[in-house]
Order: sequence, then C-alpha cells, then structure tokens
Amino acid sequence: MQYVFAASGMTCEVPGTDSSRTIFKGLCFAIERGEIVDLVGPSGSGKSSLLTAFAQLNPHAHGSMELEGRPASEFTPQQWRSQVAYLPQKALLTGSTVDEAIRLPWTLRIRNTTGTSRPSRLSRLFSRQSPAAQAKALLPSERIRATLDSIGCEDIDLDRAPHDLSGGQAARVSLARTLLTEPKVLLADEVDAGLDDENAEKVAAIMAQYADRGMSIVRIRHRPPDGRASRIVALDGGALTETYTNSQKISQSNNREDGQEARA
Amino acid sequence: MSGNYYSIDIWGLLVALAMVAVAAGISSLMRMGIGRTLLWSACRALLQLCAMGFIMAFVIRSGNPWFVLLLIAFMLIAAVQITLSRAKGVPKGLAGPVLLSLVLTMLIMMSLVTELVIRPHPWYAPQLVVPLTGMLLGNTVSALAVGLSRFFESMRERRDEVDTLLALGATAWEAARPSVVSSIRLGLMPTTASLASAGIVTVPGMMAGQIIAGGDPINAAKYQFMMLAAIAALTLLADSVIMVLAYRKCFTVLDQYQPVPA
Repeated sequence: MQYVFAASGMTCEVPGTDSSRTIFKGLCFAIERGEIVDLVGPSGSGKSSLLTAFAQLNPHAHGSMELEGRPASEFTPQQWRSQVAYLPQKALLTGSTVDEAIRLPWTLRIRNTTGTSRPSRLSRLFSRQSPAAQAKALLPSERIRATLDSIGCEDIDLDRAPHDLSGGQAARVSLARTLLTEPKVLLADEVDAGLDDENAEKVAAIMAQYADRGMSIVRIRHRPPDGRASRIVALDGGALTETYTNSQKISQSNNREDGQEARA
Repeated sequence: MSGNYYSIDIWGLLVALAMVAVAAGISSLMRMGIGRTLLWSACRALLQLCAMGFIMAFVIRSGNPWFVLLLIAFMLIAAVQITLSRAKGVPKGLAGPVLLSLVLTMLIMMSLVTELVIRPHPWYAPQLVVPLTGMLLGNTVSALAVGLSRFFESMRERRDEVDTLLALGATAWEAARPSVVSSIRLGLMPTTASLASAGIVTVPGMMAGQIIAGGDPINAAKYQFMMLAAIAALTLLADSVIMVLAYRKCFTVLDQYQPVPA
C-alpha cells in the first residue's frame, strides 16, 4: 500500500521551567491519496502539536516523515509546507480585500519562481514588478471567483474587506486560500470550530470535494462524526488509537489494512 | 573664528541641575515614577560630558592618531552597551550584530564624509572626527534601540500571522518582513523628523555651535546639512543591517517560528 504521507517516531517535548514535558512520543501515522482522516481527542492532548509537527512548523517536535516516498530532508521547509499545508484554526486574512487575502500565498517566493532559476533576494528586491502584481498575474481574480463559486461560496464578494466577513465566510476564505495552493496533504486544525452547523457543513463539503480529486485531508474535529472520514484517529495520553468507520457502522480495529475502502 | 564664545560658570551648571530637580519633584508629586531616572541621568550626563571634555582636550593636545582611534573604539563599545540596555524584550547574543552595524556605518561615515568631503589636516583631526562620530553614534544608537525593541515586539504580536505565512510556504524573511519594515520606519522617525524640521523648528547643535562661536551662518548651514543627510542615510543603513542580522533570532534552522521571551 502506497501512502502519500507517512510519519513515524513523532515526538513532541515542550521545554518547561525546570523539566520538559512530553506531549507525545514515537507516534506513527500515514494517509492515502484522497483519504479523509479525523483526529480527535481531549483538548490539550496535542492534536494541534501533531499537525504542526507534520507541517514542520513545530519547533518542539521531531520525527521522520515522508511525502510520496521522499524523506522530508529532501525538501526545503518551504517546499514541504507548500505540499503538506497546515490550515490554522484562526482564519487570519491579511490585506484590504478578500481578493488580496486569497492571493497572499502567490506573493511568496515559493510560488513565484519563473522557470528553473531561483531569483535571489537581491534581484527580487529590485524587480520592477511588485509581489502583489506578480501574484495577480499568477492568480487572476476570475480564477478566484470561479473557484469560490465552484465550492459554494457565491456569497463572498472579492472586493469586500476581510474583517467585514462573518466567521463562517472568513473560515471558508481561509480554507479556499489554502486549497487553491493545491497541497497534496491538508492539515485542517478545527476549522469548523466556532461555526454554526450550516457553515460547518459547508466547510466539510468543500474539503470532501477536494478529497475526491485526490487531496489527503486530516481534520481535527470536535463535532460528531459526519461520515466523510474513512478513519477516526484518537490522540490521548500521548498515544494514537485508530477507529475505522464503515459507512454508518463504526468498527474498532488495530489493523490498518482493512478499512481502506470504507470512505463514506 | 573670532573666538567670542560665551563661557558659563559653576552657577550655570547649578541652575541647569536645579531645573532638572524641579522637574523631578513635579514628576514625583504626580507619581509618574520617572523623577529618579531623570535626576540620575542628568547627573550622569554632566559627569560624562565633563569627562569627554577632558579626554578630548588631552587627545587634541597629544596629536596622536592612536589616541583618536582608541577613543572611537571606546565610544563604539559604549554605544553597543547602551543600545542593548535600552532595547526592551530583545534576545541575547545581539552584541556582535549591533557592533557590526555600528562599525560598518561609522567606517562609511569616516571614509566618505570626513576624508572625502571635509578632508581635514591631519586626516585624524580629533576636533572633527570625534564629534562627527559622536553625532552619528548618538543617532544610530537610538534608532537601533527603538528598531530592535519594535521588531521583537511586533513579531510577538504577529505570532499568528507569522505562523499562517510560514504554513503557506513563506521563508523566514518573508514572514518577518512586515515587522522589519514597521520597526525600521519607527526607528527612523526621529531622524526624518529632524530632517524635516531642520532650520524651521530647530537649529541643530552643530550649526548652533558654529554660529555661537562666531562662524559664518551660511557655512554652518552647509555643514549641518551634510551631517543631517549623512546621518539620516547611515541610520537607515545601520537599521537595515541589524534587521538582516537579527531577524533569524525568531526562527529555528527549519524556519519555524520561535517565540523570543519578552
């Protein structure tokens, strides 16, 4: 079985005032192409720490990870994070319009390399085109509009100010921003927290749409299972236990192989 | 020079100290809690200025370039210490970068402004080199202290934004850039303000000194302009250099955000 993403020996130790506290140690996890896995567990059990560790964003965590069979050490941190994308719980939208907020990832160098030559910081500093203009060329408003419409976000105007959006709209814009970067693995950290059921359902439906196209998604959730995940993984006391969901029937198993086709 | 400068006696100093003491008294009445610092700083300034006067008199009389260099080296080290003690919430290990940016700007100042434009005789003329260095350092020290404090404060405030940027594939520099820009802007504000107000609101120290000493006001103005312009440019340079050297303190080798304790 070929996993898109595999991690082993994931350990997180937070340094304290006199001794360090171990959040989890030696965890293994893997996800297939197009699979949705829910990560559950009591608050403070380290779910977010695990996801940020997967995205190499957690300075207190380490472990060995592979993306499509290639070890993480072969990627630069930026290359890794553009493929294994962590979506934070708080929707943080920068800029003066929704348009600009969604275009933020394209102002970054990782998506701005023309051809094979990596522009140096100096040449970027003196290039005539501003990062915003480059981003606009790479991701025109029409494409943003079309994508938002296709995932049921017709209600979000691109020229609105991000802070005028409702919580549900902001969450969907933040999700769309990361989805448009087309990562292979999406690590969604409780993006439906603070949303009403209707908005939570919208967010879940958008993610399912991308999973159907091959994106692997790990979701931290506190809501009851919505039948979209093929597996539910519980993190508690520093250990991971897996539960396979088979349509409506939930069966407990420690064997990874037998729940593969069980996506609802 | 016609040499008709105005000397003040010991009573002049006492009047100045009394003014500070009254200000300190008012602040303690209003419980602003800065009276002690004000008084202490004033006494310190008096001692330091007198000491500098003696030392400069000695260096000028000796006519030895090594004494000039030694004095400048001492000023540099003191500048590093003052920068780091005035910057709040800044991580350890910045003495090297601060010294480097100060030395770099000072060398440019010495070579360009002093030796290329003014061309004093002898080349190390202490009555020129030492005050010019002092003016530059005084300005860069406050710009660096403000810039560094603001940078690390801004990085703490922007924590979530930095994490979001990194998660979207930003490099450490890209994630830190907004903080770098805002801190350089803030650090440079007094400098640009002094440029804009020069001659209208303020008659800057150097020009005032030359005019009081009986110099030609036009000449004094030319001198002063060159100093203000050079100092503004070099302060921006010093601030940029320190930011490039210091921003990495907020990140691990894997470009992960690492909070710097306040």
